[in-house]
Amino acid sequence: MIKIKKLSKFYGKKQVLNSINLEFKKGKIYGIVGENGAGKTTLFRCISGLENYKGHISSDYTKLKDHLGLLLTEPFFFSKITGKEYIRLLTNARQTEVINIEDKNIFDLPLNQYASTYSTGMKKKLALTAILLQENNVFILDEPFNGVDIQSNLIITEIIERFKKLEKTVIISSHIFSTLANTCDEIYLMKNGEIIKKVEQEGFNNLEKEMKEFIVGNRIDKLELK
Amino acid sequence: MKQYFQLQFKILNRKITDFGFPLLLGYILILLVFILLSKYLFKNTEFAIYAYGLIALSFVSKLNEPKRNDFLKSVFKKNTYKKLRLIENFIYCLPFTIFLLYEKQFMFSIILNLFAIIFTLFNFSTNVNATIPTPFSKKPFEFTIGFRRTFYIFPIAYFLTYISVTVENFNLGVFSILLIGITCFSYYSKIENEYFVWNYNLSSKEFLIEKTKTCLIYFSLSCLPIIITLAVYFLNEIDILILFFLVCCTYLTTIIFAKYSSFPNEMNMSHVILITTSFLFPPILLIFIPLFYSQSIKKLNIVLND
Repeated sequence: MIKIKKLSKFYGKKQVLNSINLEFKKGKIYGIVGENGAGKTTLFRCISGLENYKGHISSDYTKLKDHLGLLLTEPFFFSKITGKEYIRLLTNARQTEVINIEDKNIFDLPLNQYASTYSTGMKKKLALTAILLQENNVFILDEPFNGVDIQSNLIITEIIERFKKLEKTVIISSHIFSTLANTCDEIYLMKNGEIIKKVEQEGFNNLEKEMKEFIVGNRIDKLELK
Repeated sequence: MKQYFQLQFKILNRKITDFGFPLLLGYILILLVFILLSKYLFKNTEFAIYAYGLIALSFVSKLNEPKRNDFLKSVFKKNTYKKLRLIENFIYCLPFTIFLLYEKQFMFSIILNLFAIIFTLFNFSTNVNATIPTPFSKKPFEFTIGFRRTFYIFPIAYFLTYISVTVENFNLGVFSILLIGITCFSYYSKIENEYFVWNYNLSSKEFLIEKTKTCLIYFSLSCLPIIITLAVYFLNEIDILILFFLVCCTYLTTIIFAKYSSFPNEMNMSHVILITTSFLFPPILLIFIPLFYSQSIKKLNIVLND
C-alpha cells in the first residue's frame, strides 16, 4: 500500500500540488485524469522520489523506488544504444537477470536497432517492456497508450489486467478515458494540483459525461465555427 | 547567414553565463585554458602535433552531426549551406591554426585547414542506422555509446602500439594507452538523465563503486592488447607502463566522481577548472578525488533516496 498525506509541491512560488491525500492498495488499478498541467506528472515524480515535496508518502517498502516501475510520458533514450541494451541497462540497474531478452519481446520490437530511431509508439513499448522485465510490484504508467497502435493497446490493457491478478499496484494516467474505464478500479480527477473527485467503477459512465461538460463546457462555441 | 552566426554567438554567450561566469571573464578563462593546455601539450609530449591535430579535428567533426546538417540544409540554400559550413569549420580550427603558426608548424596548420575543407565538401551524414557492434553491450551505457562514437580510435591506438614495437619507441606505446584513456575519459563528460540513475536499487556508494568498477574493467580490457605487447617488448620499462596505466585509471575515477558531483546538472566550471589544474599537477587528485566523491554521494542520495 502507498499512502499519500497532505502532499504539496511548489516550483518557486507556483504551487503545482495542493495538499493531496491518496491511498493506493495492492491488487488495484488506479486512474488519474486531468487536463494538461493539472499536476499528474508532478504527482508521479513525487511518488517516485524524483522530486522534493511537502507532506508524507509512505509505503510497505523500505524504499518504494526500488519496487517501482516508472513509465514516463516521453521516455528518454540515448542516441547510440539498441533496444536490447536499453532493456539490459534498466534490468541491470535493478539486479534483475533476463536470460533471453528476445523471447520477452512481446511487442516485436527491432531490439538490435538503435532505440533513438524508433517511432514514438515503439519507444513507449520499449520503455514499458524494460520496466515489466524489472519485476516491479508497483507501476506508475504516465500516458501508456499515447502513440501506441491498437494491437499494442490491447496487449497493454491485458498486462494491466494480469497485474491486478498478481496483486500489483498500478497507477495510470491517460487522456483516453475509455481505456481507463475498462481497466481501473478507481479514477481520480485532478485539476490545478488538487484531487477534485474520486469515482469508483459504478460511476465511470457518469464521470465521462461530467468531464465532458466540465472540461469542454461552452469553450468551442467561442470559436463560432461556421 | 549573418543572423545564423549571431545566433551561434548568443548560444556561446549563454553557455558561458550558464556556467556562472561573467562574459568577459569567461572568454579570458577559455583563452587562458586553451593556451596553457596547448603549451603544456607541446612542452611535455613528443607527439603533441598529432594529438593536437586529432583534438582539433574531433572539435570540427562535432559540427558534422547528421541531424544538425540536415536541419541546416533544410533551412539554407545549397550554396549558403556550403559557405556556412566552411566558415564554421574554419572558425573552429582558428585557435588551433594560430597556435600551430606560433609553434612554426606551418605545414600542419595547412593540413588541418585542408581537413576542415574536406569535412565540408564531403557529406558524412548518412541515414543508415546500422548498429555498430560493441564488446561493451553487456553493461550499458557509457562504454557502449562511447565505443560506437569513437570505435576508430581503438585500431589507431593498436596500430600505434605496433609501430612503437617496430621502431622500438616505448613512448609511442605509452601514448597509445593515453589515447585510449583520453577517449574513455570523454565517455563520462556528459551527464545522463536522472531517470537512469533513479532506476538503480543501489545505495549512492554502491552506485559509484559499480560505475567505477565497470569503467575500469572495460578500460583495462581495451588496453590489455597494448599492455601485453609493451610488457613483452619493453620489459625493462614495465614500471613506467604500470604507472601510466594507473594514472589513466585514477583520472577515469576522478571524472566519474566529478560527473556525479553536480548531478543532475552538468559539471560546472569550477569542476572543469579543478580537473584541468590536476593535469598540470596530478598529485592534487589526492585532494580532488575525496572531494568529488563526497559531493557525488550527497547529490546521488537525493535521486537514489538513500
